Order: sequence, then structure tokens, then C-alpha cells
Amino acid sequence: MTGAIALAPSAPVQVPVVAQITAIEASLLAFVVLTALATALARDVLAAVIVFGAYSLGMAALYTFYRAPDVALTEAAISAGVTTVLLLLTLAKTTRIDHDVAFESVNLPAVGAVGILFGGLLLTMGDIPAVGSPDAPVWSNPEVSQWYLSESYAQTGVENTVMAVLAAFRGFDTFGEAVVVFAGGIAALIVLHREVFA
Amino acid sequence: MSDVRPGDETADDDADDVPPHRARDRSGRLDSERRQGTPYTESQVIMPTVKIVAPFAFTYGLFITFHGAGSPGGGFQGGAIMAAVVFMIAFAFGIEATREWLANTVVVALAVGGALAFAGIGLLPVARGGAFLQYDLLPIPVKYGLESVEVFGIAAIVSGVLMGLFFLLANGFDSDGSGFGDGGPVDEDADELAGESGSPEADRTAAADGGER
Amino acid sequence: MTFVDATLAAGYTVSDFLLLAAAGFTVLAIGMLYRAVKGPTMQDRVLAVNVLGTNTVVILAILAAALSEPTFLDIALVYALLNFLMAIAISKFTVERGGVL
Repeated sequence: MTGAIALAPSAPVQVPVVAQITAIEASLLAFVVLTALATALARDVLAAVIVFGAYSLGMAALYTFYRAPDVALTEAAISAGVTTVLLLLTLAKTTRIDHDVAFESVNLPAVGAVGILFGGLLLTMGDIPAVGSPDAPVWSNPEVSQWYLSESYAQTGVENTVMAVLAAFRGFDTFGEAVVVFAGGIAALIVLHREVFA
Repeated sequence: MSDVRPGDETADDDADDVPPHRARDRSGRLDSERRQGTPYTESQVIMPTVKIVAPFAFTYGLFITFHGAGSPGGGFQGGAIMAAVVFMIAFAFGIEATREWLANTVVVALAVGGALAFAGIGLLPVARGGAFLQYDLLPIPVKYGLESVEVFGIAAIVSGVLMGLFFLLANGFDSDGSGFGDGGPVDEDADELAGESGSPEADRTAAADGGER
Repeated sequence: MTFVDATLAAGYTVSDFLLLAAAGFTVLAIGMLYRAVKGPTMQDRVLAVNVLGTNTVVILAILAAALSEPTFLDIALVYALLNFLMAIAISKFTVERGGVL
């Protein structure tokens, strides 16, 4: 059981993946799965929005544990600050239907269809390398990923490799991404038949 | 949730004890509560708290944006946090008051200016005979080139568009479609609509405009 | 050799114990989730999501210490600031179902 709370990511993999999951990972994953299920099944839309906020809390902690602070920060800023607020504003324009039941009734054919898709996706899991595995393409193919880690500071002078890749090495992609955000705002104007934002 | 609202009654039988500026707002709703005849005033708890928290949150958004090169973060995250501060102020002091304080020009200038700044920084090296976003052809060090893209480009676009989406969704759908083309302010359209047509959306918009403060 | 790498007992380091504590807080969060899902009133849910947010701030801070990455505290700070926004947004929404927004 020593493997259960060992700090796994940088250690080489000798034991099966399931045995290597740590207590914090297991509890965070349970939290995320439970909130996702509750979001999908909640009958009241406002309850679903609130539980979805809780879901993003778990995801942010999970990203942090896997040492992806930029993703975690995005999750924190967007979900806690923006998504919940925008969903609530949209809900304020609707009327509420009184529900007697807390949960949506489960549609069995839909569950079957989703189950088949999920099973198909699960089949690919065997080929995905474990977290921190030396066989992962990140490590076994060092001339790409390691090149960014070693060269990004020398070439851009930016300590945060994620930002160096985003703004410099993949700068044109980021430009497209920023234009997509801009176009999203314009599309919302068109959909809502408005000419001005504020 | 069926047990939370003691005055939970359907539609039209509770329109007698409401403040006049809210009456139309409530009439179309299935879940309107019976208020004790007092109009809603902005919360005395939320307003002072937001006054204290908002400057710190905004400064932190600026920090995330400007310090993205040395720590987690960057323009996208910082811009989202700065927009969230505006949401915070809007929830505390009323969306309509914030809409007047933060003019449409500011929101549009942030979004459009950000896109133009990003394109400009990208195209300047092209004009000098290099590639798009080739930072070493800029007159500033490479690091500041990246930072300026993050700060003037991405952060401005994200914060502007998110603020715009917020005000847009708060306004709701313009059911008449007259937001297009005629050039008149949208709020006036909504008021006219409320006067002459009985469509629920128009009523809601007008009541929200009138009853906000 | 930093503080979190120091061995406490039976070969477990301080980092291991911090991670275990974070796992404990996550279990508490799962318990709190019951209140957020079940309700029964919206006020219960607002309170539950606020507690969940505070809990997450603690988890993130513990993770930052356990992984000895001080910059991860940024995420905890952002959550602490924005969790307040989520709470006031939902609580104002519960008044007349957004009629006063």
C-alpha cells in the first residue's frame, strides 16, 4: 500500500496503473465524476448550474495536482468567474417549471447509446501511456517536447514555457483563437438581434 | 425546491400587492414571490463587500496578465478575471447602472482594439520582411513582444468580449429585431415596444430597465 | 532537500501527509456535494457551493505546498476572489429568480 500515497508522476512505472493511483487522485476523480453525474441528472436547471460550478472546482484541483497550473487557472477564472454568471443571466430570462422530482428520469436507450460510445472510447485507454510513464511520447520522443522545454527560455526569454509556446512558437494559432473569441462576441450580437453590447 | 416559496402562486393573482414598477415584470412568471410591498433595494451587505474586494481582484487580474511570462497565467486568464470584476460590480450595484458607467464604446474598443493590436504586432515583422509574429524583428526585446501580444491583444479581446456577452445576455433577445438597421438606441426601442405591443419579452425588458435602481 | 521532502514517520515525507490531508478535504467536499445536490432550498445550495469553494481553496493551497510549487498559490487566490462572485451571483439570482439582477 506504500504506492497508494506516493508522489507518482516522476517515478518510473513498475506496477499496474490502478495500483498507482494516489488517495488525492482517487478522491478528486470521485468528486468530479459525482458532480458531472449530478449536473447531467439534476431536474432543476439552477441546481445543475450550481453543481456544475462545483464540478469545475474539482477539475481545477485535479489540473493543479497534475502540474498544469495554466489550465487550472483558466478553469478557475472562466468557470467560477464567467460561466456560472452567464448561465444565471440566461436563466433569469426563462420561467421556472415546478418540479416534484429532484432528478431527471433516465432514458434507457440514450444511456445505451452513450454506453456504447463510452465503451468504444474505453477500448483506446489501453494504448494511452500512464501518467509519468517513460513510454509516453513526451519522454520517448524528446526531440519535440524536450526541445521546447530547453529552448523556449533561450529563444524568447520567457520563463513560462506554456506562454512561450502559445504566444511565440504557436503564435498564429493563438491569433486564430483570439479571433474566434472576437467572432463569438459578434455572433452573440447577431443571435440576440442587437447592435450594441452595452 | 417546491417547498421554498411560501407565496408561490401562478401568474396573475398576486399582482395587487407589488410595487408598480415591478408589476409587469412579475405578471408573466410562474414563480414570482409575494413581496411585502417594498421594492427591492441593492443589498447593504454585497455593496460594501464588493467595494473592498473589487480593487484587489482587478489588481490580481492585472498581475496575472502582466506576470504571465514568469508564473502561471497570461492574457486569457487575466482578461477573464478583469471581466469577472465588472460582473461583480454589476451584481452589487445593478446591471443597468454598470451599463451606464461602462459605455458601449469601452467594451467595443477593448475587443476591436485587442484584435487590431494582435494583428498589428503580428504584421509589423511582415512589413520588415520577416514572418508573421517574428518577434526578433520588432524594435523591442523578444520577451516584451510576447508580453505585448498577451497584454494588448489577448487580455483586451477576452475582457472586452466577456463584458460584452454579459451586458448582451442581461439585455436578452430583441424580439422585434429592430436592433438592426434603424440606428436608434436599443433601450428606446424596448420602451416603445412595451407601450404598444403586449409581447412578453418586450414587457420584461422594459420592466427591467425601469425597475433596476 | 526542502521541508516537504523531510521524512516524518515510516518513510512517509511531509509531502505525503499533505497530500493525504488534501485527499481528506476532498472527501469532505464530496460530503458537501450532498447538500448542493439535494437542497432542498436554493439557500442550502448557495451555502454548499460557497463551502465547496472555500474547501477547494484549501485543497489548492495544500497542493501548492505538497508539490513545492509556490506559484500554484495563484490558483487558490483566484478561486478565493472569484468564489465570492459565484456566491453573490447565485444568491441575488434566488431573489425573484433573477428579476432583480
